[in-house]
Amino acid sequence: MTDYLQSQRASDQLAAEHGIDDPFAAAIRATRMAMIVTDATQADNPIIFANDAFLRLTGYVRSEIIGRNCRFLQGPETDPASVAELRGAIADGEDIAMDILNYRKDGSTFWNALYLSPVRNKQGQIIYFFGSQLDVSDKKRTEDHLRETRSDLEAAVEARTRELTQALEQKTALLHEVDHRVKNNLQLISSLLLLQNRREKEPGVKASLRGILERVNAIATVHRRLFQSADVERFDVSAFVRDLVSDMTGSANREEIRVRLDLERVDVAASKAAPLALVISELFSNALRHAFPDGRPGEILVSITRLNGDFRIEIADDGVGLSETARSSGFGLTIVQLLCQQLKARSETTAADSGTRVVIHLPVNGVHH
Amino acid sequence: MSGRALDVLIVEDEVLLATELEYLAEEVGYHSVGLAMSSDEAVDLANSLHPDLALVDVHLQDGPTGVEVVRKIHDDCGCVALFMTANVKRLPDDFAGACGVIGKPYSEHGVKMALAYLAVCLEEGHAPGWPPVGLELAPAFAERWGLTDMPRTA
Repeated sequence: MTDYLQSQRASDQLAAEHGIDDPFAAAIRATRMAMIVTDATQADNPIIFANDAFLRLTGYVRSEIIGRNCRFLQGPETDPASVAELRGAIADGEDIAMDILNYRKDGSTFWNALYLSPVRNKQGQIIYFFGSQLDVSDKKRTEDHLRETRSDLEAAVEARTRELTQALEQKTALLHEVDHRVKNNLQLISSLLLLQNRREKEPGVKASLRGILERVNAIATVHRRLFQSADVERFDVSAFVRDLVSDMTGSANREEIRVRLDLERVDVAASKAAPLALVISELFSNALRHAFPDGRPGEILVSITRLNGDFRIEIADDGVGLSETARSSGFGLTIVQLLCQQLKARSETTAADSGTRVVIHLPVNGVHH
Repeated sequence: MSGRALDVLIVEDEVLLATELEYLAEEVGYHSVGLAMSSDEAVDLANSLHPDLALVDVHLQDGPTGVEVVRKIHDDCGCVALFMTANVKRLPDDFAGACGVIGKPYSEHGVKMALAYLAVCLEEGHAPGWPPVGLELAPAFAERWGLTDMPRTA
């Protein structure tokens, strides 16, 4: 077998150059890490040196492997992509480190952390390849196990997330459905009131119907704004007040009354939106209808600010003042009192320089600071 | 409003809402030509009456078919539609060809302002200013009626 003989000669030459007293050669022979040297100058790059650790790792005896290309370590389960990569590195004369599945003589497999690097002569030509092999099957097993565990966990998390997302979608759909019905029913109620008002001739009854319509409208304005923002549990009071005041002022058709808004953006819990809307609607309506009799001009201020952790809502007019007119039916103020009680809010009514000022202190989180 | 009254078709399955809406439209100068409660009725009436404006609810007697109605009457006879719905957020981005939407629940004053505003837009082909509170215009109509280059604070 000429190949074998040629490799044996190369092997002998290598051994002769690195005799028994060469400490580097001794280290390589004795180390627990498997190592080989191949002859790059021969066809098919055969092994010309293998240390004892390599023989222990692979189960071969030395004579079985000297003169052979080390592809005998590969088997049916070895990843062809890894083999191609390895071949490419050898062809290009480059270092390579990779984990590759190899086979022992008895057919059993092990994961080989392979490091292969070319050895050049003084002229820069590649004359040898040096290879070291480390059995990393345990590490690989642990990694695989971890990967499986992780992918099981990921699958579980994904499934749970899917369930929760579905549940949330259902809940959101339901919320929209209910919201839709509430809005339609509010529209129906206001249509009923408007229709009856059209038929009604008695001024007192018409005024009552208008009063109720106004309250229904205040609640409707809330519902038009509710669930519009990303946070369905909060309600932007300033945006609502802008809508409400513009609608009430417009429908009062009193161009000689100016409305001034001083609105800081404040949010309240959605559950407080409707009662608060009714309070503001009553107070503003009172000013609009009673402060400026007989076409008297003037101004109504609506202001919302934060004060010491409370919301301060002020509705002030420069009209005829409290004493000079019997304000509303009294029912409107009853509503304000009752709802302030419900909202745990304090209401103060004072006679302003001229006109009336009502200030509501609404606790932000249900308690006064 | 100048000239002849604009014809309006109301597409709404709640008859009390529709009746009151008819009054409101006539109070701001429209002429109500009919009421449809289902999608078929709406398409038939739009094709035979050629209204200037159709007020269309999304939920009709045959289900949430209002969007299809608007698209169909827009494609068939170029009828301008206005959505009146509680589900403003569910409308397609192009408004299915409608000129805009009024969110329910609307107020008497709000709907009258919106309809009076649209009457000017329809008759003059140009908006008199920014739309009133409660009326949202479709992007295509905001452009058609010259709102894209109108300053915000007119």
